[in-house]
Amino acid sequence: MVVFYRRMPRFEYLKPQRFEDVLELLQNSTPNRYRVFAGGTDLMDQLKQRKINVPETVIDLKGITELDFINFDKSSGLRIGALTTVADVAKSPEIEEHYPALAQGAREIASIQIQNRATITGNICNAVSSADSAPPLLALGAEVVCANRNGERTIKIEDFFSGPGQTVLNPNELVKEITLPPPVDNSDSVYLKLAPRGRMDLAWIGVAVWAQISERIFNNVRIGLGAAAPTPIRTPNAEEALCGLDVVSENIEAAAAIASGEASPRENSFRAGSEYRHMMVEVLVKRVLTQLAG
Amino acid sequence: MSDQPAKIGDNWPNLIGKRLPRVDAVEKVNGDAKYAGDFNLTGQLWMKILRSPYPHAKIISIDASKALEMPGVKAVVTAEDFNGWSWGWGPTTRDETPLADEKVRYFAEAVAAVAAEDEETAEEACALINVVYEELPGIFDAEEAMRDGAPQVHDYVDNNISWDFHMDYGDVEEGFAEADFVREDRFETGRTLTGFLEPPAAVAQIDSSGITIYAAKQSPYFIYRQLASCFKLPLSKVRVIQPYVGGGFGGTKNDSTAGDFCAVMLAKKTKRPVKFVYNMEEVLTTCRRRHNMIVDCKMGMKKDGSITAVQTKVIADGGAFTAIGPLTMYLTGIMTTLPYKLDHYKHDAYRVFTNHPVSAAMRGHGVTHTRFAAEIQMEKMADELGIDPVEVRMKNAIEAPHETINGITVDTCGLKEGLEIVSSSSAWKDKDQNKKDGPVVRGIGISGTSHLGGARQRGHQSCAAIVRLCEDGTVNYLTGASDAGQGSDTVLVQLVAEELGLTMEDVTIQRVDTAVTPVDNGSYGSRVTILAGQAAQKAAQEVKRQLAEAAANIWEVDAGKILFNDRTVFVDGDPDKSMSFKKLTQIACYSETGAVIMGKGFSEYGLEKMDFEKGYGNPGVNYSFTSQLSAVDVDIETGMVKVKDFLIAHDCGRPLHPVNVEAQTQGAASQGLGQALYEDFKMREGRTMNSTMVNYMMPLSTEHPDFELHDIITDDPHGPFGAKEASEGSIISTPPSIVSAIHDATGIWFTKLPVTPEKIVLALKEKKENS
Repeated sequence: MVVFYRRMPRFEYLKPQRFEDVLELLQNSTPNRYRVFAGGTDLMDQLKQRKINVPETVIDLKGITELDFINFDKSSGLRIGALTTVADVAKSPEIEEHYPALAQGAREIASIQIQNRATITGNICNAVSSADSAPPLLALGAEVVCANRNGERTIKIEDFFSGPGQTVLNPNELVKEITLPPPVDNSDSVYLKLAPRGRMDLAWIGVAVWAQISERIFNNVRIGLGAAAPTPIRTPNAEEALCGLDVVSENIEAAAAIASGEASPRENSFRAGSEYRHMMVEVLVKRVLTQLAG
Repeated sequence: MSDQPAKIGDNWPNLIGKRLPRVDAVEKVNGDAKYAGDFNLTGQLWMKILRSPYPHAKIISIDASKALEMPGVKAVVTAEDFNGWSWGWGPTTRDETPLADEKVRYFAEAVAAVAAEDEETAEEACALINVVYEELPGIFDAEEAMRDGAPQVHDYVDNNISWDFHMDYGDVEEGFAEADFVREDRFETGRTLTGFLEPPAAVAQIDSSGITIYAAKQSPYFIYRQLASCFKLPLSKVRVIQPYVGGGFGGTKNDSTAGDFCAVMLAKKTKRPVKFVYNMEEVLTTCRRRHNMIVDCKMGMKKDGSITAVQTKVIADGGAFTAIGPLTMYLTGIMTTLPYKLDHYKHDAYRVFTNHPVSAAMRGHGVTHTRFAAEIQMEKMADELGIDPVEVRMKNAIEAPHETINGITVDTCGLKEGLEIVSSSSAWKDKDQNKKDGPVVRGIGISGTSHLGGARQRGHQSCAAIVRLCEDGTVNYLTGASDAGQGSDTVLVQLVAEELGLTMEDVTIQRVDTAVTPVDNGSYGSRVTILAGQAAQKAAQEVKRQLAEAAANIWEVDAGKILFNDRTVFVDGDPDKSMSFKKLTQIACYSETGAVIMGKGFSEYGLEKMDFEKGYGNPGVNYSFTSQLSAVDVDIETGMVKVKDFLIAHDCGRPLHPVNVEAQTQGAASQGLGQALYEDFKMREGRTMNSTMVNYMMPLSTEHPDFELHDIITDDPHGPFGAKEASEGSIISTPPSIVSAIHDATGIWFTKLPVTPEKIVLALKEKKENS
């Protein structure tokens, strides 16, 4: 059956004011009872097109203003609340200064209107491989603080994605905030997105690298890739290969080639073929590292 | 030309050629303009269409009983309700039914429709209709579809050949023998969306007075005829009312849709008005699109670059039904003899049924495909012979007057002048200095192409107009021509006002209402300005003649001495004898028994004989010529192409409304840009994989270059004030100039559109490995 829907399906709508009230609802939930949303820029479209099962009730999280924050502290790092919009992350001077790849990633997410509405947390919870915030969060060593009624747990961002559109969150769990480690001296980060029409397109490849360079040596490197595998990934071999090496183009090119080998793009994507994506991982990792090398 | 008004004063013409506001500008900006989806009728129901989940399947049974039991559902229609009625282009190709009958032939073909009290209910009810299918093997490749034993889409033709078309002029073998160099190449032109932003929508009712439908159509008299035939009503009882239209570009908005037929049928069943609006995914999945064509092109060339012969074989993916396809195949053949001299030409074209959505007309109809192939092949051969791209074009370019080997007559041609303009630009002259050395490389390419205006194919093609003079000196102008956004309403008002010496504000154009306005074939083939324009001029001249007689009586002079200008009527050479247009109107309308002044006019351009089957004679009234330069930056590591400059020198005869002409030229180039680099329906087993505007990538404003436009004035004798077409030329000139520019940057000739980053990177890799 094919029907091209124009109308929203019927569902109940709740807009609680307190995080704990949501957790309480989720605790006693049954499958297909609730779906939560923050900006709704992914969920509303999926519901309208019946791409997902229609829940009995959708829970609008935007009333939980306590989770709309950006806190930065030099010694403890950055905390981004689950309800913080992409636009706020894109515009934050502290993020721009200490975590530039994340600000760049936020600015690459779709239109200004979407950025004003969508949240960074929603971007990672939707868990598409091409999410522009994911490679920067991977490169910057982010952790995801999750909560249910009984308590909290912290998950490394590289362990957060479990498959296309899937995360390790339990049905009774929500993300509370995303944390990033405090800035390290002599470090910098960059995100580059490859897409024919820029931010309005889903990334064909996204690459973020965080690197600590001193005396022209790569002391520490983390690389995050988007749209290069079923989920956003790190490339540990390329990172390890670079550490301790001189900042010269031969080393950068070698690491880019290793990173390309660590990618495992889909074979049958209509957007771009696997061979091309492998090649583009190499080109973009090289470009990002070259940019960081100064 | 006797059709042209007398030259009055130094500022004449007053309106033609002026940068005037469009007549629809205010309504569109302030939201007064109502589109089909804005219309609501009292008591209306909402309709939703249930569509097939298979590209090719037998329909075993349809059970709508559960849907009909749902509260709020008023009726369901299936193919049975239409009693086997079918429609299509010609008497032998009426192969399309409003709803799939017995079998479905493409994915998401309409199978049933529900009318309910609200749209949500109609949507939910669709899910309750139980359709049992027996899936059939599908055929999705046009060449495979032609082979014996391939699954058959229709039983009434063999080897899935929907239509074939053959032209043979001169002797190509002789031509190839004369050549020093012969090349054969295969080209493929891509599957593209027509690209309107307003999806199909309508609200329909039917009662003892007949059918009334407010529908988004660029050619409302198509659906007028189709509804009359489907519902067995006289044409006088079919009323199609034309709202503002949000773009057309051919295909879908020329034809009826499943939605139109079903809305009327449901209105008939329920005795209530029925409304529907498609969504964009429905448009991208089910509506008419441009044919993908494989063009095998063979060209002979002498050492000096002159072309001796061209032979083309075209295989077009026609999709599931015929629609307007035969015309596409005619145009893709007949126009190859322009704009370069050609003595020997042979063309064999096959339109092939597949289980894809239907292919039909789109801006640059048929011409884009074969011109792209011949243009690139000509330049490729010149490249191999060491001849400059400008030189090979100048060598072969026609000059007016010219008659092609297949009987196309060209009276004005600005091609050489256009090529001179693009080749004397600094972008062209300094192209080798501006190359840049990686990873981003600059490339410059050019093209020189032609398109027809005032399309005339077979059967009814003229336009008519009625100009009604109101007694206060203002004018109601009735036309059957439709402004689908291209700006024709403005140009037509300009022509009427210019003839009568009035201002734009004095003339009100009535949008099409088939119960009121004169029959018209529609907005396609760049025919409106030329044909409806001539009709408008003639109708206005008729009003002027009647007024001039009244004035001649008053002043006791010969009617031929009465002139109209600037809302004033006066006697030529006797400035004391003058009065306002309004006053003359009042005198004429109120004196004695009183006159009711109306003028009617018909177009007369392009009535000479043609042979459609052989592709002989003029397919249009006159011909535009477009020369284009494109500058691109190619990132040779990622394959990303950014177009930096478009320089377009076009001969549209004379731009009657320069702002519209510029917008049309830019818009067509924009669509050409999409076709060259970005747009392509990705098909898998008959399903469209990129059926959203996010994934089907039309170029955004950020992908557009700077435009530089040059008008070449040639004043064609067969168009109002010398006008030719100005809305399709640059969709033909853009892709070859971009592909030529990419060649300049990369050294590689790409022959399959669109030229994606992936194709570029992989081709560069292959080139590197082979060198």
